[in-house]
Amino acid sequence: MRRTATAITFLFVVTGCTSYTHTEKANSQIAFGSEVAKQGLWREAQFRFEQAIAKDPTNARAHNNLAVALEATGEFARALEEYKKALQLGPNDNYIRRNYARFAEFYTSYTRTTGKAAGGP
Amino acid sequence: MPIGHRRVRPVLRALVAAAVAVGALLGAPPVSAGVSQVRLRLPLKPRLPLRGNEKLALAPFILVTEAEKARDKRLQNVDLQGEFHRFLKKQVDKKTKLEVIETPPEVRLPTQNLSELARATEFWRAVGASTGADIIVSGSLEFRIEDRSGYKTEEYVSPINGQTYYRQVYVEQTGFLFDIVFLVFDGHSGEKLLQDEFKDFRQTGGRRADELQGLFENLFSLENQILNLFVAREREADRYLFTD
Repeated sequence: MRRTATAITFLFVVTGCTSYTHTEKANSQIAFGSEVAKQGLWREAQFRFEQAIAKDPTNARAHNNLAVALEATGEFARALEEYKKALQLGPNDNYIRRNYARFAEFYTSYTRTTGKAAGGP
Repeated sequence: MPIGHRRVRPVLRALVAAAVAVGALLGAPPVSAGVSQVRLRLPLKPRLPLRGNEKLALAPFILVTEAEKARDKRLQNVDLQGEFHRFLKKQVDKKTKLEVIETPPEVRLPTQNLSELARATEFWRAVGASTGADIIVSGSLEFRIEDRSGYKTEEYVSPINGQTYYRQVYVEQTGFLFDIVFLVFDGHSGEKLLQDEFKDFRQTGGRRADELQGLFENLFSLENQILNLFVAREREADRYLFTD
């Protein structure tokens, strides 16, 4: 009886720890990515956020950070996709919503139709 | 004192053990809302798809506030056409590789109506042929000086009884409004390539603020937008980054 109880407790703790480690790894990638991003190393940050998403694809924060990194490196179409994913996963997160709104404003003006080319048909 | 320590320790140990057990059983780390703000420099594509080394002719602009000069003495001190041309030429020369040509002084706009000016294809083709310009810039300029002086409510703490009161204070202020509509034409076909409008409003203290200083404050605040018509520019933007 005592052995069974110990085994169940052990199993319970191990299961808990597995899920903790999984999220923790994604979080540590986010933490490291955000640190290097603050130093302007956006390619490295992008890689870290991609790693975080690979470990935890439902992490809205990782998708948001990846979107910011993609914006910083000029990959705006991909940034848009990532912002949308982040917003889908965390629809009530004010930071993600604000980022997305600001990006949408920029992206709209960026893709706005420009004038015709001089001397063109 | 040591006796007390001995008594407390087992209780603390039990509490820590309980906290660890609960944490492990829940299977999740504590959520912290670590967020930091980062500043990005985002590129702005030029509004006109140019090679970059075209010849750009600066044609006269329609002066919207010309009629008001007779009434407003301060407007008489500003040669809006001249100052704007000088500013634009200097900025384009300095920050782009476009070759700026001034149109000959005998070139007069065929109309003072902006819509008609935008449709005057023949006229712009002729200007392009005579100057050899690839693109021609024209449009309309509006510069207004407004007296914004008036009474404003101000908080006031009485030095006698320390209570807060509200009082009306007369504040002298001058507003400078600048509105520019850019028309860019193809020097070869005379067709309109682009039309865009930029506005700026500045307010300074004092009723007799210098009008030329006001004009240049307006112009420098619009500099990035104006140059972005011809060349790529950058703008700063803040974003939130999660830190854990």
